[in-house]
Amino acid sequence: MAKNRFFPTLKSNGGMLVTLAVFILLPFIVGLFDGASPAQVWINGSGQSKFIQGLAIEIFILALYALSYDLIFGFTGLLSFGHSMFFAVGAYGTGILLKNFGFSLPATFGVIFLAGILQALLFGMVLPRVKGITFALVTLGMASVFHVLVISSELGPYTGSDVGLQGVVPPEFISPASQRLRLYFVTLAVLILVFMLYKRFVNSPTGRVCTAIRENEGRALMLGYNTFYFKLAALALSSLTAALAGMLHTIYQPIVSPNVAGLGYTVTALLIILIGGVGTLNGALVGAVVFRLLDYGLRRYIGESASFINGAVYVAIVLFLPFGIVGTWRLKSAQVKQGWERLAKLFGSR
Amino acid sequence: MSIFLRKNFTRLIVLAVLAALFVAAAGGMESSDFVITLLRGLSVGSLTFLVASGFSLIFGLLDVLNLAHGTLFMIGAYIGWTVYVRPDTFVDLLTPLFLIFSGFMLGDVWAVIGTRGLFAGGMKRILPWAGMLVSALILVGVLRSYPVSIWNPEDYAQSPVSISYLAGLGQNLLPPPAAFESISPLLAFAGLLLGSLLLAFSLALFAAGKQGLVSRLNWCSFAGFGAFLLAGILFFVFNDALTNFLASLNTNWLFLIAVSVAVATGVGLGALMETTLIRPLYIRPIYQLMLTLGLSAIGIEMVRAIWGRPEFTMPRPAFFAGTGEGCPATSLADWWQYHCSTMILLDGRIRIYNEIFVPIIGLTVLIGVWILLQRSRLGMVIRAGVQDREMVEALGINVRRVFTLVFALGVGLAALGGVLAAPSIGLSNMMGESFLLNALIALAIGGLTSYPGAALGSLLVGLLQQFIIKYGQIGIPIPFADIIFKPTPPIVPASTILLMVVVLLILPNGLLGKKE
Repeated sequence: MAKNRFFPTLKSNGGMLVTLAVFILLPFIVGLFDGASPAQVWINGSGQSKFIQGLAIEIFILALYALSYDLIFGFTGLLSFGHSMFFAVGAYGTGILLKNFGFSLPATFGVIFLAGILQALLFGMVLPRVKGITFALVTLGMASVFHVLVISSELGPYTGSDVGLQGVVPPEFISPASQRLRLYFVTLAVLILVFMLYKRFVNSPTGRVCTAIRENEGRALMLGYNTFYFKLAALALSSLTAALAGMLHTIYQPIVSPNVAGLGYTVTALLIILIGGVGTLNGALVGAVVFRLLDYGLRRYIGESASFINGAVYVAIVLFLPFGIVGTWRLKSAQVKQGWERLAKLFGSR
Repeated sequence: MSIFLRKNFTRLIVLAVLAALFVAAAGGMESSDFVITLLRGLSVGSLTFLVASGFSLIFGLLDVLNLAHGTLFMIGAYIGWTVYVRPDTFVDLLTPLFLIFSGFMLGDVWAVIGTRGLFAGGMKRILPWAGMLVSALILVGVLRSYPVSIWNPEDYAQSPVSISYLAGLGQNLLPPPAAFESISPLLAFAGLLLGSLLLAFSLALFAAGKQGLVSRLNWCSFAGFGAFLLAGILFFVFNDALTNFLASLNTNWLFLIAVSVAVATGVGLGALMETTLIRPLYIRPIYQLMLTLGLSAIGIEMVRAIWGRPEFTMPRPAFFAGTGEGCPATSLADWWQYHCSTMILLDGRIRIYNEIFVPIIGLTVLIGVWILLQRSRLGMVIRAGVQDREMVEALGINVRRVFTLVFALGVGLAALGGVLAAPSIGLSNMMGESFLLNALIALAIGGLTSYPGAALGSLLVGLLQQFIIKYGQIGIPIPFADIIFKPTPPIVPASTILLMVVVLLILPNGLLGKKE
């Protein structure tokens, strides 16, 4: 019985498992290319592998953040311009609690968890009053107020005002300097867990109602669903995930720039899921990889005017991949499959 | 009357509270400070309005959130600066521009050739791409060696910053005209023409392949082609004469020319953007956000590459730049006589251009576009389209053309705002983004698709910002305590956003927006 269910599960999640295996082996493979043995990588010897791990950690954090945005925008259809606040509360909260109050990591996690729920309630408070683009603008307003708080000089001792939060000492066992491989695996594990949770959520009855709200809120209301609660649930989950991503960000980065609280960081999330494909969970992951690598590669090889090429790539993606990478692929793969089937039928009938 | 009152109860209360706040803010400062702050608020409000009105028209009719609007505002400013300070560059650029556009005047001819089925299946697919590639190569090759006398942002002595500074002192010496060196003029013209024809042809093939329309040959297009070609060549022949004429022209007239060129560029860019890039995206609106964001990044980078990163200012036209005898003026009649740059009003010193001229232009545009919307057939179609687009389409009106017109008009208004802003707040790479955010806030306050709402919202945003800045200098005494609260600079943008949030939470459709 167990065997019967095991193999189909393996088969249907093949792509995900292969990706997982690649990411588990990635630090060691890069190490081998660099001439460092797996043992050296294991004890966090400096080298190319450590650098790639750092880049990958950034991608994982971005992917978490993009997933959380995809849940409220891609699945529930709430366009929010204040999403960076969710992330920034996690990032700044972790930093301040660790640095100024000397909390332990689990206690910090607990506080951040509560803060995440509170934020979702705050955004939820305005949900019944404003819809569509107006909701986006109101959330932008809330996030901007938070941004002003973060960069205000009165809170300088805590937030570091416009220089950014620095001097946070992460716990020794996942310190990005001495235990980066462990941090890498922790971040990867968090991403995988959240991804699986999201997959479960999206396919659950609650998630289905969320999708229904995106498609036609009036009809969902008419069917007897109190759409407010469903939107609130999606917001809460999304806020928690983004706060978690912010927490990991603070642990990994030496300086938390106040830019993570600004509108630009929300736009980053929006761009990532537009690149990957709106309303697809895989899209958020693919988008994060493409976005970060594109940004990194262009900045490294082209320099200052990288955002020109970046902009051109966005325009090209919009024109040639009409529904993002994953979305377009799904659309086309059905067509390709249909074509093959028609071909098979043609030969079969003969 | 009572029904009106009952329906608009909340709205009236909010307006009354805003008015009371305004009176309270006015009461807290001296009258000279108040007049200056009021006029500055009007000035910033007018510039914001020029961005916001176009944005609102585009959003209302096309449902496009044009996030590149701020960048287009900025491009308008930089184009205006170029025409105003460096007319030689402008004249040099006219010939290639006209030659490149000449090929597109023959659109009908290309469409007919494309639909005649001269090319078979596989060829038909490859040909447009190949044509585009070849034409792009030719155009880039020719334009690289085409002589244009231009500044150099890398070299400080030749950078826009020092050119602007010298121009402000009245020492604007244009460098000797650039001459053809690495390429002969005839070859350059032939290359430009060939590239243009090929580009137009391959673009038309795309369209023909997609729609399969059979167009009738229209001989007028040949006349248009000839006119553009002739204009291009004439601009080349009379290049020096035109440059000298522009350089020796009174700065007032030159400023007028700069404004019209910037607006024309905005209109052209808008029409181009709508027809080529925005149009395919009406079926998936969310990707318009990404497209316009990408375009905005491209625009900012191009401006940085051409004009450099440092900020600089555009000198004011002579009408508003007098400093000598009789200045500062004490009345408007005085100003008319001496063309002073500043005026004394209620013991306060105000700059005529910033605080009188810009608001007047803003008011003129407000009334002009209002009349266009209310009293013309186009305006009727636009208003109807904002209400119900499908219905207008069903009535047999070519909404697509109206879309293009409105987009072009909106971008033109933004460019007008940019070129007007240049002498007052200067040119910087970041001016577009900040004005876009201001405009968005103004629209949210006033009502996203409401034209008078755009005006009211912009006015509120401008006034609020300026009052907060002023109170940052003099401080607000907090009642029942001896603290004087001084708003810090980050509070300026936050205050407008806060106003927006409060207004939206009370009136979700904005102050003057209609219920959906």
